[in-house]
Amino acid sequence: MKNGARRVAPDAMDRWPEERLAKFHLHKIRQLLRHVYRQLPFYRQRLARAKVDPEQVKTLGDLARIPTFSKQDVLQEIRRQGRFDFGLETIARRDPAVLCMTSGTLGSSFLYLPRKWRALRGDSLLRAYWWAGLRPGMRMLMAVPAWHSLAVQESRVIERLGVSTVVPWGTFLPRNAGNFIDAISDATPDFVSIFLPMLFAILAECRRRGAKPATVFKSVQSILAVGAPMTPRSRQQLVHELGVGDIFEGLGNPEGLTAMECASHCGHHIFVDCCFVEIIDPKSGAPLPVGQRGNVVITTLIPHGSIFLRYDTEDLGVILPGACACGRSWPRMEVYDRRANEVEIAGQRIVPYDVRICLDELPELVNLPFAVVRGETKMERLTLLMQKPASGNLEEIQARIANLLRKKPNVEAIQEWAEELPQRWKGVTVIEEKDWRRARV
Amino acid sequence: MNRIQILLQRAAKAPLYRKKFAHLKPGTVRDLRSFSAKVPPTRLEELAAETPKSAGPLSPRLCAGRGPRAIFQLEYDTQPALYVALDRADLRGYVEVLKHCWSLAGLRKGDRVAIFDYGTSPLSYLAASSFTPYLDRGAADLLGCLPVCNDGVANMSPRAVEILRYVRPRVFFIRHDCLHALAVEIERQALRLADYTQALVAAENESLLSDAERSSFEKRLGVPIYRLLRIDAAMFLAMECPRCRMLHTRRDSYFVETLPEEDDAAESPLVVTNWFAGNSPTVRYLSQVRGSLKPSGCPRGPKDLRIAV
Ligand SMILES: [Zn+2]
Ligand SMILES: [Zn+2]
Repeated sequence: MKNGARRVAPDAMDRWPEERLAKFHLHKIRQLLRHVYRQLPFYRQRLARAKVDPEQVKTLGDLARIPTFSKQDVLQEIRRQGRFDFGLETIARRDPAVLCMTSGTLGSSFLYLPRKWRALRGDSLLRAYWWAGLRPGMRMLMAVPAWHSLAVQESRVIERLGVSTVVPWGTFLPRNAGNFIDAISDATPDFVSIFLPMLFAILAECRRRGAKPATVFKSVQSILAVGAPMTPRSRQQLVHELGVGDIFEGLGNPEGLTAMECASHCGHHIFVDCCFVEIIDPKSGAPLPVGQRGNVVITTLIPHGSIFLRYDTEDLGVILPGACACGRSWPRMEVYDRRANEVEIAGQRIVPYDVRICLDELPELVNLPFAVVRGETKMERLTLLMQKPASGNLEEIQARIANLLRKKPNVEAIQEWAEELPQRWKGVTVIEEKDWRRARV
Repeated sequence: MNRIQILLQRAAKAPLYRKKFAHLKPGTVRDLRSFSAKVPPTRLEELAAETPKSAGPLSPRLCAGRGPRAIFQLEYDTQPALYVALDRADLRGYVEVLKHCWSLAGLRKGDRVAIFDYGTSPLSYLAASSFTPYLDRGAADLLGCLPVCNDGVANMSPRAVEILRYVRPRVFFIRHDCLHALAVEIERQALRLADYTQALVAAENESLLSDAERSSFEKRLGVPIYRLLRIDAAMFLAMECPRCRMLHTRRDSYFVETLPEEDDAAESPLVVTNWFAGNSPTVRYLSQVRGSLKPSGCPRGPKDLRIAV
């Protein structure tokens, strides 16, 4: 390793034994609790209402006594107080900051992100880019510029590693795919950081232009994709089609979570240097054991800017059992979808990702758009809307999918084919039955 | 050596200028007068035409740089696409101009400022060091403001309104093509914009909102609207002065000329030479914006370059 690289290479914290990590977490969380109790009205009130004294939290298990909160609570406070800063943020006047926004169907909330936050979160994120192969002196394509909270962290990673960066004009909407193709062809980056839906938009644009994706991505050694889950087959197919060394999937949220695949591609290691993750039962709120699906609840370990302590992301996820082949001790998780995208079929709760896994068993269907149609009443069978593949016998494919779905997740399915899914449904994998019916007439 | 000679020497390292200035004999360009007379202007079409089609340097005017750079694709619909590369020093020079624009718009320490534009617009990426690699201090860091950005897509207007409601920025910068959508959203929500911000600043690359459009939006929205001119290929920014209503920019950052045309019109195309862009030298860039140069002396910026448009 060259000197410059050695200076910024991640430390060995990702191999700390479990007990040492637990001790680290308890220490950080107790510090954070004291801080929020003293300084932040939002938490002081919540803790008082729940009759929790921060000093009573003596084990990580005690953390469960602190009530969780979700986006809805945040939005309610913003609206009630009529201001972005409603008492959840540590504001140090001397530390320059930016405001970023989180989006969502419910509305936008604000994140107060000072330089100290950027330094800690960005340095943590550097490990993810390092795992994916980014090294000093390389050139990388930046996923998001300026306004997105990822840019605040990514720009720090870029500076620390001393890589050059290229930014395509516009934003990550399908209509800008051409700009991304130009930027990759012209600037020949070694590394691409991108939103997964944008990668699919680039592939579609390559088809439209008659360009070979592997030619466009000729210079690219690896890709770090975020923004949507990829199934193993989908990843393999993309690696093949783009002709890149590997594609790594990262996941996270600006409130605190970073999780990243290692080269084993068996789940995402939680970046526990900055975040503590719990999976809870959405109904009872009780923490769930490893291996069980539930709501992802995060606690940031960064005491600067907006602080999220037991924040229920309303994402559906799981902490995976067992150790990773890579030997790192950081626990691994999977996040499947927003909880809101879960549908119940004959008593079984499934998300589109479960369907995607089955569809990807058929080479003709890998990465092809589909949607789950959610009924207005109780559903006994799953209704799937799928885009017709370029080749293959539809009846045969249909029968094979039905069989796969019957095995796991164990549901009966009705399938409908569409020449092409309407643009607005692309990337939206759950559609409501009434919208679907309206679109058909 | 004066700054003209330093610029020409630097530019000579870029393929485009090496070819273009081959006829210039050493010593013929000594001052701004001989510079204007002897150095031919560069058009946008030339930048595109001279861009190598494959596997060459990214831009025909790119100089070999030291250290890492941030490379931005520009907002022009040329084929091939155009880029500028900026290292720390270039970004330092560029941000000084944006800071100047912000000050002229009335922004001071402690203010909040909103930007409704793409993250790839210099309006956004120069706003804060946290947004852009190698930007040591952004305009907000220099002035002590708190910035918030919204992606520059018209259908993000509801989010822009949330910024107005809950952040109450003193000044709200906006891409010209988002103005209409924002106005519609403000009307839909029956908001009195003046309760939430003091002024809008409409910005555009190599173009400006017309007076008629401006007054119609001002009437509709009930706040003053100022204009900000971007000439991204020249890394140029100029802000309309609330007092004299001319565009102001920093004299230390640019040399601006107008290119007289045969029809003797009052306004001629602006030609920009950039003094700070070391990696992508800009020597007499012929813009698509017409204006006329006016003497300095506005109390809001006594030394500023002033352009009437
Ligand atoms: Zn691993
Ligand atoms: Zn003036």
